Amino acid sequence: MSKATVELPPKAGFNFDLCRRNDMLTKNGVHAPSFLKTGTTIVGLVFEDGVVLGADTRATEGPIVADKNCEKIHYMAPNIYCCGAGTAADTENVTDMISSQLLLHRYATGRESRVVTALTLLKTHLFGYQGHVSAALVLGGVDITGPHLHTIYPHGSTDTLPFATMGSGSLAAMAIFESKYREGLTDFYIYILYLCQSIARDEGVKLVTEAICSGIFNDLGSGSNVDVCVITKGKVEYLRNHQKPNPRTYISSKGFSFLKGQTEVLSTKVTLLEKPQQEEGVDKMEE
Amino acid sequence: MSIFEYNGSAIVAMVGKNCFAIASDRRLGVQLQTVATDFQRIYKIHDKLYIGLAGLATDAQTLHQRLVFRHNLYQLREERNMKPETFASLVSAVLYEKRFGPYFCQPVIAGLGEKDEPFICTMDSIGANENANVIGIELAKDFVVGGTASESLYGACESMYKPNMEPDELFETISQALLASVDRDCLSGWGGHVIVVTPTEVTERKLKGRMD
Amino acid sequence: MDLNLDAPHSMGTTIIGVTYDGGVVLGADSRTSTGMYVANRASDKITQLTDNVYLCRSGSAADTQIISDYVRYFLDQHTIQLGQPATVKVAANLIRLLSYQNKNMLQAGMIVGGWDKYVGGQIYSVPLGGTILQQPFSIGGSGSSYLYGFMDQSWKEGMSKDEAEKLVVKAVSLAIARDGASGGVVRTVTINSEGVERKFYPGDSLPLWHEELASVNSLLDLLPEPMST
Repeated sequence: MSKATVELPPKAGFNFDLCRRNDMLTKNGVHAPSFLKTGTTIVGLVFEDGVVLGADTRATEGPIVADKNCEKIHYMAPNIYCCGAGTAADTENVTDMISSQLLLHRYATGRESRVVTALTLLKTHLFGYQGHVSAALVLGGVDITGPHLHTIYPHGSTDTLPFATMGSGSLAAMAIFESKYREGLTDFYIYILYLCQSIARDEGVKLVTEAICSGIFNDLGSGSNVDVCVITKGKVEYLRNHQKPNPRTYISSKGFSFLKGQTEVLSTKVTLLEKPQQEEGVDKMEE
Repeated sequence: MSIFEYNGSAIVAMVGKNCFAIASDRRLGVQLQTVATDFQRIYKIHDKLYIGLAGLATDAQTLHQRLVFRHNLYQLREERNMKPETFASLVSAVLYEKRFGPYFCQPVIAGLGEKDEPFICTMDSIGANENANVIGIELAKDFVVGGTASESLYGACESMYKPNMEPDELFETISQALLASVDRDCLSGWGGHVIVVTPTEVTERKLKGRMD
Repeated sequence: MDLNLDAPHSMGTTIIGVTYDGGVVLGADSRTSTGMYVANRASDKITQLTDNVYLCRSGSAADTQIISDYVRYFLDQHTIQLGQPATVKVAANLIRLLSYQNKNMLQAGMIVGGWDKYVGGQIYSVPLGGTILQQPFSIGGSGSSYLYGFMDQSWKEGMSKDEAEKLVVKAVSLAIARDGASGGVVRTVTINSEGVERKFYPGDSLPLWHEELASVNSLLDLLPEPMST
């Protein structure tokens, strides 16, 4: 009885207490629920002096659309943003964790965060979990060394590209990028080299929007609206719901009205809430 | 069989004008056999903050105890109640800690914030926040659902919900949505439990429903 | 159609390293795939480790990137402590060390190539289990199986730099033609006493092999104006 153990909130890291029980349940034919996924089309491209990131806004749980307007472009640092695809909890938490590490790093160094720093932190984290933390990311930002765009895979590998797509709609979006980028250039590879100079901001936003729309309409895992984020030197434009190609087509504002007392109620209990009392006459703590 | 289908559950929360409602069914079963018909799935955190835990009942109760523990620590340290947003982050963190061996429950959180603005959200079993009711965004979802009846609840709420309902109408709407949905789900039902919270009062009602 | 997009990012690759009279030439294709999808068709599989040592990577992209990151870090420290550039052998040995110690976790076949003032140009091959082999020339990756006979026949002792570069490009283009997991462009890195020179050969500049068709512009380019938006 003397063993008074109080379970204190953990400091950090994952907890594996329930793994064996859950494995046992799975072996007995009881399956774990599916997680919230972002079936997702996410894209990014580099233009003249900045980066454009784009994402759709559908979140799915199995075949169900769990969220029709979620946010997939995550904040990393004032000059760096990151699109996430994969398990929603993983993309959310990974970007949050690295974002806080970047903030501490900025406090320690007093300098603007660099995109490669974010890239390295993300890839080492993901590599450590060997693909079990399933976050596929498109990282973009502008730092002292210019605009950068990277893709990061759940296993921790990274690519540096002038344009990138990820998620289930990546093929649809890449089809747009690959075809529209040819404009005026016969040699694709020369084109890759000169891409950075050839695209202006508005063109970039337009192309990104088109790529996302291609994902929204051709990939079942992606849908709803287009979010765009334009990062240039010293400026970020987060265009939430930049385009809404799928408005509601059914009634909602005047659809149903129920008369009071229609529902059969067995019992009612009303509790009045007290207003939190301002303690008058008590001096405020001295400054 | 999915683990959610072991006990069965239906939870829904809706936002009204300066108020919110959260409702659940009352059945606890072991697969198709009903064990209890007065089961509480909605837990009170404080006067203006509630959490409904759909899914495996044993995990729901354990998780609730841990959340109450964490909220008590917060109260001792801060001498105030948690804001719903803060609490949602806490739930998310507690769940994500068990990313590779999760609690099999899906939380539905509903509360009134500091200025009595309603807040609802839900997340999956590893804490991926599904929707924080962001004011000012047109398409922001204003109801959230969870449990085995969630598919039918999505449909019912999608058509029955309308913005800015007064508490009375909100009660009728959420009750009808719940009752209609659990009738199409054999794992949840046996009436409902509805809590409507306004800045001044909390009204808890027990609903009569089908008993099959 | 099973594209298997969740498969780990891997480089079903052709990589090659060749010594010549005075230095080494490294070569690689540029295809990175996830399952059946080409995730990056212009990737750079020849990674710099130090000023005078480069690394050709094949296998899992994540694993080989992490290995090269660590080795680059170790070599930087080593260079500072030594006050002079690290030798190729040291670099190759670090790669081998990591490969061998973590052989159960890793899926990585690499070729280290470089030049140092003591031995000159050297090629070391570090295949899957963490062996280290010094070779006059070495090939690796899925495309290499198409090249063994060719390399045995074509590699000669005491080639000139030009001959060696031509050989590397020819070999990689042969592998690209036969191996579905290799493709894109050919990248080469030449390292000798003078320094390092990178070269880039676009896919349509490569020689055409048996029954290959010359690349043509896409149909989209033949249309008057590709679906103006």
